[in-house]
Order: sequence, then structure tokens, then C-alpha cells
Amino acid sequence: MPANFVPPSGVEYIRVLPEIILAAVATLIMVLEPLTPAPRKRALGYLALAGFAGALAGAAAAGWRTGPAFSGMLEVDGFATFFRLLVILAGLLVTLVSFPYLRREEAESGEYYALLLYSVAGQTIMVSAADLIVLFIGLEISSIASYVLAGYMRREKLANEAAAKYFLLGSFATAFLLYGIALIYGATGTTRLNGIAQVLSDPRMAPAGILTGTAVALMLVGFAFKISAAPFQVWAPDVYQGAPSPVAAFLAAGPKAAAFAVLLRVFMTAFAPLTGRWLAIMWSLSLLTMIVGNFAALLQTNIKRLLAYSSIAHAGYVLVAVTAHSEEGVQAAMFYLTVYVFMNIGAFAVVAYFSRKGERYVEIEDLAGLGVRQPVLAALFAVILLSLIGVPPTAGFLGKFYIFQAAVKADLLWLTVLGLLNSAVAAYYYLRLIVIMYMKEPGDSLLELPGMAVSTRAALWTSAAAVVVLGLFPALIR
Amino acid sequence: MPTSVAEEYFPVVLQVLVAMAIAGGMIAASALLGHRVRNPVKDQPYECGIQPEGSPRERFSVKFYLVAMIFILLDIETVFLYPWAVVYRELRLFAFFEMLVFVVLILSGFFYIWKKGALAWSMEEKPREKQ
Amino acid sequence: MNLLDAVLWLPLAGFVLLLLIPRERVRAIRQFALGITTATFLLSLALLVGFDRTSAAFQYETNLPWISSPEIRYHIGIDGISLWLVLLTTLLSPIGVLISWQHIDRRVKEFFALFLAMEFGLIGVFVALDLFLFYVFWEVSLVPMYFLIGVWGHERRIYAAVKFFIYTMTGSVLMLAGIIYLYIRAGTFDYPALIEMMMNGSLMLDRMEQNLLFAGFFAAFAIKVPLFPLHTWLPDAHVEAPTAGSVMLASVMLKMGCYGLLRFCLPMFPAAARGAAPWIVMLAIAGILYGALVAMVQPNMKKLVAYTSVSHLGFVVLGLFTFTELGTNGAVYQMLNHGISTGALFALVGFLYERRHSLEIEDYGGVATPAPVLATMFLITSLASMGLPVLNNFVGEYLVLQGAAQVNFRWAVFAAIGVILAACYMLWMYQRVFYGEARKDFSMRDANLREWAVMSPLIILMVWMGTYTQTFLPPITASSAAILEQTKVNVEFHVERQMPRQELANAR
Repeated sequence: MPANFVPPSGVEYIRVLPEIILAAVATLIMVLEPLTPAPRKRALGYLALAGFAGALAGAAAAGWRTGPAFSGMLEVDGFATFFRLLVILAGLLVTLVSFPYLRREEAESGEYYALLLYSVAGQTIMVSAADLIVLFIGLEISSIASYVLAGYMRREKLANEAAAKYFLLGSFATAFLLYGIALIYGATGTTRLNGIAQVLSDPRMAPAGILTGTAVALMLVGFAFKISAAPFQVWAPDVYQGAPSPVAAFLAAGPKAAAFAVLLRVFMTAFAPLTGRWLAIMWSLSLLTMIVGNFAALLQTNIKRLLAYSSIAHAGYVLVAVTAHSEEGVQAAMFYLTVYVFMNIGAFAVVAYFSRKGERYVEIEDLAGLGVRQPVLAALFAVILLSLIGVPPTAGFLGKFYIFQAAVKADLLWLTVLGLLNSAVAAYYYLRLIVIMYMKEPGDSLLELPGMAVSTRAALWTSAAAVVVLGLFPALIR
Repeated sequence: MPTSVAEEYFPVVLQVLVAMAIAGGMIAASALLGHRVRNPVKDQPYECGIQPEGSPRERFSVKFYLVAMIFILLDIETVFLYPWAVVYRELRLFAFFEMLVFVVLILSGFFYIWKKGALAWSMEEKPREKQ
Repeated sequence: MNLLDAVLWLPLAGFVLLLLIPRERVRAIRQFALGITTATFLLSLALLVGFDRTSAAFQYETNLPWISSPEIRYHIGIDGISLWLVLLTTLLSPIGVLISWQHIDRRVKEFFALFLAMEFGLIGVFVALDLFLFYVFWEVSLVPMYFLIGVWGHERRIYAAVKFFIYTMTGSVLMLAGIIYLYIRAGTFDYPALIEMMMNGSLMLDRMEQNLLFAGFFAAFAIKVPLFPLHTWLPDAHVEAPTAGSVMLASVMLKMGCYGLLRFCLPMFPAAARGAAPWIVMLAIAGILYGALVAMVQPNMKKLVAYTSVSHLGFVVLGLFTFTELGTNGAVYQMLNHGISTGALFALVGFLYERRHSLEIEDYGGVATPAPVLATMFLITSLASMGLPVLNNFVGEYLVLQGAAQVNFRWAVFAAIGVILAACYMLWMYQRVFYGEARKDFSMRDANLREWAVMSPLIILMVWMGTYTQTFLPPITASSAAILEQTKVNVEFHVERQMPRQELANAR
């Protein structure tokens, strides 16, 4: 340890305020959990909610004082603040959806909420990382917590399968990522993102092409897994199907957004000098992801699997924005991810509510007649689905518009045309949900459908309202 | 004096090759030269001359794994104390508070596993069954 | 905030307010929807008062910033063409409400709410002067129609609704790609600004760009028109839709495609449009003949009327792509005519359906005996639709044919065959439905007050538009002349290509 060590200043602690709050609340919940009798576990959930709210405030405060923290390991800039707010908000909405779900499944426990908080803490670290090691630690914190969450219903066979699959493949992917990090460290002698960019752009220090190329490819594999880009997407449908619905909502929101944030940061800063080498890969990755996601979704009969494939397809759209590798592209990706988080949590909130105890009703056909029995709920769901299709004036349309605008500007004409045609294909399977909700006669199973809990309703309304409001006034977050 | 990477590592490569050759040679030699007589007694697993009883596969209680994991976790956390102790003098109060946080975290984890009954060896002592 | 804003937003306000009415109060919902649509119509009539009929400029303009990055503006306004299309929309909306009065008996609230939302979208399409805004309205009008067909339609409604949505969506995403490209090239979505830049040469699209952009826009519009062979969604959607849906679909929604061709494809990409014109005209003529021939053999009245749409809209496309003043005027006039007469035909078929719950021609016969008034209404509408002089379609078809003849006489000849075929299929259907032996099990009441209210304005308009064109043509002429002027920019080859044929035509 160098003698000239300077302890971190106060402002650096403010910059990690959201992480501190999230981790502290999560640990508090873990300590309180054994002391709380079973009927009162809900109180721990409220505590988690307060933790998320506090973390939101903390992230805002941190965003007020942007700058590096802890000898440049973290970089709390506008980009990081944006994604911190996003992932924390996602955690908050998922918590709201989880309350009635866990009560219904008689599975309330403090661990669930603590794991959510830890996972979000990992994501906030990821999005503000300025160093590959910190990035990796954040990714692991987020991932390990989500592995456990995926298998939270440990008596369910599908949940076990989901957790095992997610854990094994996830560890494999992180191994790839770590190997890539090791190679890039070997090639450039640093793990700092801007340091790597410096070395790579300096022709005198340029390391062997094969080494950096392999490193970029390996890291891309790791990220592609986390964002469920084809051909690394096979885990997603099984995991989303097996995991409890609120957890599936969470997996498609927080970790995905955070992984995209680091993908953008790493490839737009550290690997910017190598753009020519990864661009073609990113191009094919995005096209393949869109096609695989959309066409596989056409065949699904299970809503959760359908949403999983839709989430893959949406990752493809965001990858188009990454392929555009421009300021517009980054902004478009940020906007789209925000919108997607809302759409996705809204859709899964409906599934979580609708599936009833033990998630028995998750087939598309089960939705028949929802439009008659629950017109308001169905209307909100329809708004979200229309946004997923990308129909104006919803935010889903504007998000696609921004992405393809960036793509056209980057001369990606064919990717734009193919991507837009893909979204026309996607219309078909989202429409099928609407068709069944509104145009089929209701079955008997809907008669026993209980009312929607207030907290789920709050999450659903928030999501639908966000989708509409952001569609009309995108300036609110851009 | 070695002048290139290849030259520098040449002795290492040589040693690896020699080691592989010797090991492979010995196995090959025993396979070629050895005299083998197969009979049921010889095919039995070696159990110090005692007749084996029952299946060799045995299931261990999951508690062993739990305890082993907890041990590894706490052990690794203890390892952090060594470098901390080395630089403690230079970092002063900062190091003290950092370690305080660290220890509090470990203790809350310890508290959790203790209360959850992970440390209770027999079922009866387990304070509460989860759910 | 001017009159046009009020016309545009009143249906949306109605939509929101309608949602507040409890769903049990069916009567109040119907009355409210009728009130809103009628008020919108009266408001839009007031547009005529302050409208300068000799100017080609956009009037009643409102131009406000909406989204700052990229710069999207709420820019609306009307010229002599969109004026009439807005009026057509607002006129047919109350008629659509009246048609649905008893026809729609379940989920009444949703139906009328969606109907009002659709009117908002349709008016928006015709008044938007910002490409982005145009696209938004284009899609906004699509969704309610999808629900109208899918929820309140006939047996195969779901298939028809999904097919309708996917067809349109596929076309419109290609248009979206074109819009994005244009924005990147020009830096604005503003239609007048774009035209201005193209006219003064500050925005030059080379031939390749024009061709691709034209293809993107054309795909969206041609599907919507629909141009043969992209028409296959139309018979399904028309047949399966509830009556009011068919009326709005045929009368207004198909005009969105024609309007788009005229407003965007021709003036923005003139070189590409002129280059593709011979091929498109061929498709249009194929559509005219194909639609007419297929209509002839339809056993189903609604399907028959649907195929007549394919035929009639072929005339519109033919007129547009002659690039002559007569042809363009005729096309616009024909758009309005088709809106009136086909809307009326669908309404009448709907009335018959309400009485007998069948659309098959063979289930009818001798209807004229118990229902002479209905039969007369049907006869006038049929005559209008087949292009009898003194009635409206004659004017449009005549102008289109004359325009076509100026360019290529053979076009006019082939298209004219379509007019003859129209007489065949319309009269044959009329004969089979209204004349002949009245069926024994037949009890049919004649037109009631509501049906009178629906039909009389349409029939009055048929006669008016057929006899006194001066009411309608001058604003159209002014605006279409301006658009034709814009199509001459940056086109070097059309002169030598078109002149000899024109002389030839004149010589004959």
C-alpha cells in the first residue's frame, strides 16, 4: 500500500450512496428475518420498499455530485445516474408486484427482499463501474442473487430447473467474461476502461491484434449471455418460465438494463478504438437476436415463454442502437431500455396476478375474455402490448423510432429495414394476446379471479402511464 | 543470455516434455511388461484386506456441505484480516472503520446462519423450521 | 388554436368523456357519440366559411413544437384536397354512429369509444403536415379499426382483423424507414419545409434515393389503397367488419392510401414516381378489371361491394399517375365519390343484414315489393356507383379517363371496360336482390327514420356532386395544380417521354 494514501473524501461516499443504502437495508433485513414471525414478514417487504425509495433518493443525490470515486474505480456520471435510477426503479416496481404474489404463494420471507436489494446493488455498481474488475464484481453480485431468486420456489420442479440452468450457464458466461478481462489486462496492462482505450488507440503501444480480438470476442460472449442475445439466448425462455413471475419481470428488467449499460460503456469507451473489428459482429448479433426472438415467439403458447422471447427480440432492437455506435445510438438505447423496463414489468405484473396460486394459468388461451371480465386491467395490458408492438403514440414506438433513426444515421440501412420488418412480425404474436383477451368468449376459470391487489395495481398503472406519457413527452427523460 | 520469449521459455518446455515422457514411459512400460492375473478377489476394491460390505456409494448429510461452506466463507474472510493488519499503521482510522464495517457485515451474516439453524447439528436443536 | 384544431381534438375529447359514462347507460352512450360526431361535422362545415377556395396554400395552420429532439412539430393544416377528405370523415362519422345504433348490441361503450378514437386518427391523417405526426395518426387510426373488426365483426373476424393489421403494419414500417431516412437527409419532418427545400433545390435526392424512398412510402400507401395485387386483406376486412366498420374502412380509410400517394409519393419523389408510373398504371388497370370481374361472381353482397372498391380505387391510382391536371382532379373527386357511394352501399347492405341476418344474395329476392323505399335508395346508390351521368361517380371517372387518354389512349380504353363491367355487376346484384319472386318466409319492413337519416344526406350528395361540380372542384383544382407543379421539379426525362404520346392522343 503506498505511503501517499489518501482516504476517500466525503463526496466519494455520497457517490456510492445508493449502493450503501441498498446493501445496508438488505443486511438489516437479513438480520431481522430470523427475528420476524412468519405472519409479519410483510413488514420486511415494506422495509425493502423503503430501501429502494431511499436508494432512489441516494442515486439522485449522487447524480448531483457527479465525478469519479475510490481512486477512479467508479465513475458516477450522467450515464451511470440514469441507469442507477432505472434499475432501482425496476427493483421497486418488482417489489410492489411481489407483495401479493408471495402472499398468495405463501412464500413470504425476508430473504426474497434482501436478495432483490443485493441484486440491484450489484447492478448499480455495474453501471457506474469504470474498471473491469469492479464491473465484474458488480455483475457477480447481481447474478448470484438472481440465480437464487430464480429458484426461489424451491419445491417447484420448473423453478429448480430454471435456477440450475441459469446458474450453470451464467457461471459459464461469467467465466468467458473473466477470461476476456484477463486477456485484455494482459494485452494492455490495465483494467481501467479509459486506460484500455488509451493503450488501444496508441499505435506505438498497440498490442497484438489476435490477443485483443480474442479478448473482445470473449467479453462479448459474456455480455451477450447476460442480455440474452442470440445465439446465447437459450437459457432465457426456460428461466423466465420456471422463475416466479415477479422474478422473471425482474430478470428481464434490472440485470438486462445493467448489462446493456456496461456493454455500452465498455464498447463505446474501452473498445472504441477497435470499433471496426466488433461492428460486424454486433451487426449480425442484433439481426440474429431480433429474428430468433420474434420468430420463436410466434410459436409460443405459454405467456411467460412468449414474453421471454419478446424480451430477446427487444434486446435485438437495443443491439441495433449499439451497432450504431454513436451518441444518438447510446441515447436511443437508454430511452428504449427505460421504456422496455416499464413495458416488461407491466406485462409480467399482469401475468403474476393472472396466473393465480401455483401459476396454473399461464397459457395464452387462459386470457380468453379478460377484456370482458376486467376491462380496465385488460385495457392497461393492451396499452402495454401495443407499446411492445411499437404503435404510436406509445413510448415503444418512439423508442424504436430513436433506435432506427440512429441506425439510419450510422448508414445501417439494411439493418433498419430488416429490424422494422421484424417489428411487423412481432405485431402478430402480441396481437394474438389482444385477440384472445378481447375477441374470445371468457372461460369459467375467470369467474374465480380475485381482485387485483393495490400494490400490483400501482405497479401496473405506473408502467402503463409511463408508457403513454413517455410516448407523448419523451423530453422528460432524454 | 536468452534473447527472445521463445528462448526464455525453451527450458520450461523442455522440462514439461521430459516430465511427460517419463510419466508416459513408466505407464507404458508397466502395461507392456507387467504380468496380469485377473481373479474376483483382485477385482474387488482395495479395502485394506477387509471384505467390503454394502454399496460403496454413501450419501452424506447435507449438513456437512453446509458446515464446509460456512467454514470456507469465514476462513476467507479471516484471510482479509492479514493484509489489513499489515497496512493498518499507514491507513490509520480509515482502516479501522473499514474493518469495523467488514466485521459488522460478517457478524450479521453469522447471526443469520446461527438463527436460521445452520449451526445446529441435530434436528431437535434447530430453533425454527423455515416456513 | 383555430377551428381545425377543434375539429381534430373534439372526437378525442369525446372519447375521453365517453369513458366516464357508466357502461349500463347504453342509450346515453349512443346519444353522446352521435352528439360528438355531429358537432364535429358542424364544426368542420364551418371550415368552409373561412376557406380560400382559390389558394393552394395550407390554411388553418397550427404549428407548435411537440418533441424537441428530434424536432417534431404539431403542424396541421388543410388545403383544397384535405379539406374535402376531412369533411368526408366528419360526415360519415355520425352516419356510422347511426348505422351502429341497433346493430351493435354488446360492449356498446367500447365500440363507440373506439369509433371516436378512430375518427380522431382519421382526421389527423388528413391534416398532419409533419411526417412524424402523419405516421402517428396513420397508426392511431389503425388500432381502433383492428378492434372494431376483431370484436364486433362476423364469423371470421379474428382472421380478418389480424390480416388487416399485419398487412398495414408491414407497409407502414417501410414508410417509417423512409421517413427516418428523409429526416436524416433533410433535418426536418415538416412537410411544407421539405417541399420548399425540394423546390428550391437545397434538398436534392438522387435517383437511387428517390427510388428507395418512393418504394418505402409506396408500399404503405399501396397496401392501404389497396392496389392490386396487395388487395387481399380488403375483402376479408370489409366482409367481416361490422357495418359501420365497413363504411369507415371503405369510405375513409382507403382514402388514406390515395391521399398519401398524392400528398407524399408524387411531389416528394417525382422522378421515381414518374419512372414507376407505367408499371403502377398497369397494376391500377389490372385492379380495375380484376376487381370488377371478381365482383361479378360474388355470391356475398358485402364481398361484392368490397371488390368494387378494388375496382374503383384503381381509377384513383390511374388518375394520380397520369400526372395530368384532369387525371389528378378526377382522382381526388373519385376519392370523395367512392367515399359517398360505397359508404352508402355498405350501409344499405348493413340494413338488409339487420333484417335478414344474411349477406348471401341467394337469400334475398323480391325485396322491392315489401320495401320500395329501401329499393329506391339502393337503386340510386347502385347507379351512382356504376357511374351514371348526373350522379357523382360519373364526374370522377370521366375526368380520370380523359386524363389517362391524354397520356396513353390505350389506358383509357382498358379502364373504360371497368365502367361497363361495373354496370353489369351492380345491376345484376340489384336484380337478384330486389326483383324476382318474393320469398314466402319474407317479412321485411321498409326504411325507418334512422335509415332515412343515414341515406338522405348521402343521396343528396350523390346528386349534388354529379350535377354541380363547381361546389367541390375549385379548391381541388388549385391544390392539385400546385402538387403537379411540384412533381416537375428535378425530373429531366419526363418531357421527351411523355410528349409524343400526348400528341398522339390529341391526334386521335
